[in-house]
Amino acid sequence: MAVLGIESSAHTFGVGVVDHGRILANEKSMYRITNKGMIPAEVAEFHIENSAPTVEKALDSCGLQIKDITGIGYTRGPGLGPCLQVGQLTAKSLAFRLNVPIVPVNHGLAHVEITKHVAYMNDPLALYVSGGNSQILKFDKNAHRYAILGETFDMGIGNMLDAFARKLGLSHAWGSEIESLARSGAYLQLPYTVKGMDFSFTGLLTKSSQLIGKAKKEDLCYSVQETSFAMLCEATERALLLTKSRELCVCGGVAQNNRLADMLNCVAKEHNARFSRAPNEYNADNGAMIAYVAERLLLKGADVPLKKCDFMQRYRIDEAVFYG
Amino acid sequence: MYTAAFYGTDFIIKSREPKKYRIHELDEELRQLRTRREAKILAVLYRSGVPVPALICVGKHSIVMQRLDGKLLRDLKMGIYFYRKLGRIVRDMHSSGVAHGDLTPANIMLADRRTYIIDFGLAEITHSAEEQALDLLLMKRSISKKEFAAFLRGYSEDNKTYKRTISRLADIEKRGRYQIRTLA
Repeated sequence: MAVLGIESSAHTFGVGVVDHGRILANEKSMYRITNKGMIPAEVAEFHIENSAPTVEKALDSCGLQIKDITGIGYTRGPGLGPCLQVGQLTAKSLAFRLNVPIVPVNHGLAHVEITKHVAYMNDPLALYVSGGNSQILKFDKNAHRYAILGETFDMGIGNMLDAFARKLGLSHAWGSEIESLARSGAYLQLPYTVKGMDFSFTGLLTKSSQLIGKAKKEDLCYSVQETSFAMLCEATERALLLTKSRELCVCGGVAQNNRLADMLNCVAKEHNARFSRAPNEYNADNGAMIAYVAERLLLKGADVPLKKCDFMQRYRIDEAVFYG
Repeated sequence: MYTAAFYGTDFIIKSREPKKYRIHELDEELRQLRTRREAKILAVLYRSGVPVPALICVGKHSIVMQRLDGKLLRDLKMGIYFYRKLGRIVRDMHSSGVAHGDLTPANIMLADRRTYIIDFGLAEITHSAEEQALDLLLMKRSISKKEFAAFLRGYSEDNKTYKRTISRLADIEKRGRYQIRTLA
C-alpha cells in the first residue's frame, strides 16, 4: 500500500508518500511570508499553483507513478480555510480519478504520531507547539483519541514569536532569528502566566512590544524566549507528574528550537523520563506525516466517502478518533 | 516539605526548590513571588476566619506553618452534612478574595475536629467569577453528585455572588476542552 498525503493547513503545501510506515517521499513548497504576515487568500493562490508540481515532485523522488498510489490522505484541519480547501480539493480529485480510498487527517495528531514513529516512542506525553497551536497531549486508549491536558488560553507560541519578530523588524525566518539573537542577550522581567497546565502569551507579547526601542533587541529576544519556554516547561512538568509518563516528546514548528529542546530535556531527566524529538523535516509542516497517519487509518478501514470529505478550520485534536 | 519542632510545637517548612530548566534570574523571581503570595494568602484567610494552617514566618523561598495532624478528605468517607459545611468554608474563602486553583479532596484536611483547606501553591488573590467557578468545577469532578449538591447548598447560603459564579460554571462546562479531560 502506497499512501499519498497532502498537507496545506498554513504556508506549506506538502506532499508525502508512505508505504508500510516507510517514508518514501516528503516534498514541500513554502509560501514566502512577507512582513505583513500571512494573507489566507494569497497563500491559497500559491498552493493552487504549486499543488500539481509538488505532487509530481514527490512521485518523482520515490520513483513511483500516480497509478501506484493506493490511498489518499489530506489535512482536514485545523488551519486557514482557503488553504485547507486547496489540499482537500487536490486530494479529492486524485482519489476520484484513481478510484482509491481517501481519509481526512487532523493536523496536530499527525505531528504527534510522526514524532512517535521516527523518534521510536511508545506512549509519550507530547508538547505540541506550532504557530497556531500550543497543547500538552496524551493519548487516551479508552476514548481512542488524544486528551488535551493543557493548552494556550489565547495565541499559539509560534504566532507570538513571529508577531514579536515582525514588530522588531527582523527580516525572514522569524523564530530562528529570535533564537540566534537571543544568544547574546540578558534577562529583563516580563509577564509570566501559567495556570495549572494552561498558559497564556498575549501579556508577554504586549509587554515586550512596548519595550521595543527602549531595550536592546538581543535582551528582548532572550527574555521573550526564556520566559515563554519556561512557561511551557512548567506546565509540561506538571502534566508529566500527573500522568507519570516515562516518555516526553516535543513536536510542531517551534520544536525546531534548540533552547526549548534543551529545557524540556532537563525537565524529563529530573523525572526519569526519556526525551526526544523528530528531525526538523518532520517538525515543520509536511506531507509525510499526513500520509503516515492516513495509512494507519486506512489499514483500520477508516476511509471516508468522497461526498463526506470536508475541511474544518477549527478541528480540535480531541475530536479526532485514532487507533493507538 | 520538611517538618520541624520548636518548644514542643510541630511545624512544617514548605520550601520552593530551584528548577534547573529555567535561567537563574527567572527562577529566583518566580520562587520568591510565589512564596510571598502563598504566605499572604494564608495570612488573609487566617485573619478572616477560614480554617487554614497558621502562618508562622516567611523566608525568601520557604514558608513555616503550623503542622496539622489529620487525615485528607481523599482518604475518608464523610456524610452529606460534612459537604454542606465544606461548601460554607469554600464560600468564605471566595468572599475573602482567594481562589484556590487546585480544590480537590487531596487538599482538604480533617484535623482536631475541624476542616482545613491546605496547599495554596496555585491559589490567587482574586474575586473573579472564572477562578471561583474553576474551583467549583474541580470539586464537582472529584466528589459524587449527591455530595456536590450538598456542597452547593452550603456554598449558596448568604452568598451574594452565588448566581454569577454558578452561571459561569455552566459556561465553562460548555467549553469543548473541559469535556474529555478524563486523564487529568
